[in-house]
Amino acid sequence: MIRLMLTALVCLVLGSSAQAQDRFPSKPIKIILPYGAGSATDIITRIMCEQLRQILAQSCVVENKPGAFGIIAIEEMARARPDGYTLQVGNVSTNAITPVLFKDKLTINYERDVVAISRLADLPTFLMATTRNFPPKTLAEFIAYAKQRPAKLKYATPGAGSFPHYDMEILSQRAGIAMEAIHIKAGPPGFINDMSLGDIHVAYMNVATSAPQIKAGTLRAIVTTTDKRLADYPDVPTMAEAGYPGVGTTLWAGLFAPAATPPAVLEMLHKAVVQALRSPQVLDAYTKQNIRSGPSGSLAEAKTWLQGEIASWQKITKDIKIDLAD
Amino acid sequence: MGDFFGNLALGFGVALTPTNLGFAFVGCLVGTLVGVLPGIGPVATVAMLLPLTFYLEPVSGLIMLAGIFYGAQYGGSTTAILVNMPGETSSVVTCIDGHQMARNGRAGAALAVAALGSFFAGCFATLLIALFSPPLAKVGQSFGAPEYFSLMVLGLIAAVVLAHGSIIKAVAMVLLGLLLGLVGTDGNTGGARFTFGATILSAGIGFVPLAIGVFGLGEVIANLISPQHRRDLLTNKISGLWLTWEEFRQAWPASVRGTIIGSLLGVLPGGGATLSAFAGYVLEKKLARDPSRFGKGAIEGVAGPESANNAGAQTSFIPMLTLGIPGNAVMALMIGALTIHGIQPGPQVMTERPALFWGMVASMWLGNLMLVVINLPLIGMWVQLLKVPYRMLYLAILLFCAIGVYTLNNNAFEVILTALFGVLGYVLLRLECEPAPMLLGFILGPLMEENLRRAMRISSGDPMIFINRPISLGLLIAAALLLLIVALPAIRGKREEVFQEG
Repeated sequence: MIRLMLTALVCLVLGSSAQAQDRFPSKPIKIILPYGAGSATDIITRIMCEQLRQILAQSCVVENKPGAFGIIAIEEMARARPDGYTLQVGNVSTNAITPVLFKDKLTINYERDVVAISRLADLPTFLMATTRNFPPKTLAEFIAYAKQRPAKLKYATPGAGSFPHYDMEILSQRAGIAMEAIHIKAGPPGFINDMSLGDIHVAYMNVATSAPQIKAGTLRAIVTTTDKRLADYPDVPTMAEAGYPGVGTTLWAGLFAPAATPPAVLEMLHKAVVQALRSPQVLDAYTKQNIRSGPSGSLAEAKTWLQGEIASWQKITKDIKIDLAD
Repeated sequence: MGDFFGNLALGFGVALTPTNLGFAFVGCLVGTLVGVLPGIGPVATVAMLLPLTFYLEPVSGLIMLAGIFYGAQYGGSTTAILVNMPGETSSVVTCIDGHQMARNGRAGAALAVAALGSFFAGCFATLLIALFSPPLAKVGQSFGAPEYFSLMVLGLIAAVVLAHGSIIKAVAMVLLGLLLGLVGTDGNTGGARFTFGATILSAGIGFVPLAIGVFGLGEVIANLISPQHRRDLLTNKISGLWLTWEEFRQAWPASVRGTIIGSLLGVLPGGGATLSAFAGYVLEKKLARDPSRFGKGAIEGVAGPESANNAGAQTSFIPMLTLGIPGNAVMALMIGALTIHGIQPGPQVMTERPALFWGMVASMWLGNLMLVVINLPLIGMWVQLLKVPYRMLYLAILLFCAIGVYTLNNNAFEVILTALFGVLGYVLLRLECEPAPMLLGFILGPLMEENLRRAMRISSGDPMIFINRPISLGLLIAAALLLLIVALPAIRGKREEVFQEG
């Protein structure tokens, strides 16, 4: 009798686990995020997650693990069991710049151990300037103004070695100007006030954070780093139109998994994510936040895209030397 | 003025619909629970409930999230008073006198004064938001990096007043807090400080592991080491659940002062609400005729800071609603909730979306009323909790702490860190060093450093920036005066005399 019960139990356990392999996903999917709740990447992820839950009929849990340039989140994902239940969402900073700039700090081999499931979305960036004590309205006026005041103008970045830091240095180098960087960990919410007081003059900021300030007239959008003008801001020219093509990064977010995840599971996740990102609910929520949905066409395309991003940042960090204390 | 009443009528019209009342109630209830459980903070809760608000009317979603935010301020004081466990930065100082009151058998009175003080502060701050949002936002906006730095200097000097023992020890604790606050990545250079090569420390030490460890676990260890009768002292003489007339007389002026100082500091974008409770406590201790009562269960030490933190929590909505600048993580999440509905927080919200703005203001007042209704009957139940034998209670405390700390970042390392800080807390207790000044140093240190470096960059290295800006100069003069008062030998002599008596 006992043996019979045990057999039944074993069958039950084996049966359920076999079923679990057949039908992915059979338990909640965890997405690790290298930023705190409420950040742009967090909002992109949570909106997508909500839709993913309906498509996969499994809940999708976001875990915020900020810090160490994304290293903590990336390593936890890369070391997790490669079964498709532990994923990571990252952005250009954590998943393209960190693997280049902090290669020595990572205890995994990023290019070998991490695979991209899909690009998710991007958030257009503006070059913003204060209206308090800063007359220039166009990029040409701004550069002429900066040339008359070498090393006098201040710009804000969310940290040394962050992409807005590189982008401003690239612009300075191309335009032949010199400005002073002020790094503010909290990012735009931490320096909007300094800008509206005129203590800090310019900064790259995403469109979601910029919008209320533009509307209130405290800050002005000089150019956008996107390839086309934004529908809501038809008067703001692109970098290319302003004479500096290729300058400026658009903040993208992507979904990543351990490289050893079974290809069938990756394929399934990719399809579900693309479906979520093309659903009217996500498109609607993203549009309201000025987020542009932009999934990769296939797993292969996602792979090429990530390789291209890494190669591009390898080149930028080699060309522009930024002194990073260790 | 007619306009004002018209606006309020509009607001109550929105807030008093059964749906919105329901959401306010859910928010307040969840907030209270989240506040009571140590470590589970409003930020995580609001983040989890954010997707839910996609399906709600914007004003309903906002009312619920706001309820969670200020509900947690209420609930946080409950654990601070009962088991000396601050769940939020704002309830740290409530531990000092609130828990002593509980030890003296006045837990009911401490909880009642916290609830009533918070209610009064909430009403006043709501009125303030309704009447003076735009001009108040301007005040907050005039604070740049140099002004913040000078404010922090004033705050740290005031921290010494927090302690009720030796000045040297208080200064040492502030410095220890500053050092702990330095751990992590240097924002300016990206360099690592005091991390000993551990990636896990590169984000710095969290407030919750430190506060729960030093206050809560330290207290648990101390209780377990002391003999049985001392542990049960807490449970034997619970004398009345309500305030005595004498207590009420002492508490209400403190509550009024706390409300005013909290309302003002809460408006500052970034960190303002955190300072409120500390400032409220320091003010009470400075004004008291007999400061030696503080730290031994002075009711003003509960009424002042509890009113201040609730007022600060309310007025911290001002920069978010009127400028679109989030003062803290919860405000950042609320901006997210609003923008999902296509509402851009900023100066135009009041004119373009009057129903949303005034509905929210009205719901704040209703929410505060609900919190009193939820919390006052619970006092009896909470106090009963103290009758649970300590040998069982402490296990539950430890369990909830571990869960709370773990769920904060899903990080087991922080649980270990909490345990280590628990040992530190016990050592400090035995050395008679007070942890409150240390926590203030820990919170203010990084803010102070960042604003100092930012100000120096803004001025291109000219320290005169702190003197050339009038607000900054005023704050520095106030700090110098305070330092003088603390340092004056005559006054110091009197101060120590007072302590020897106590």
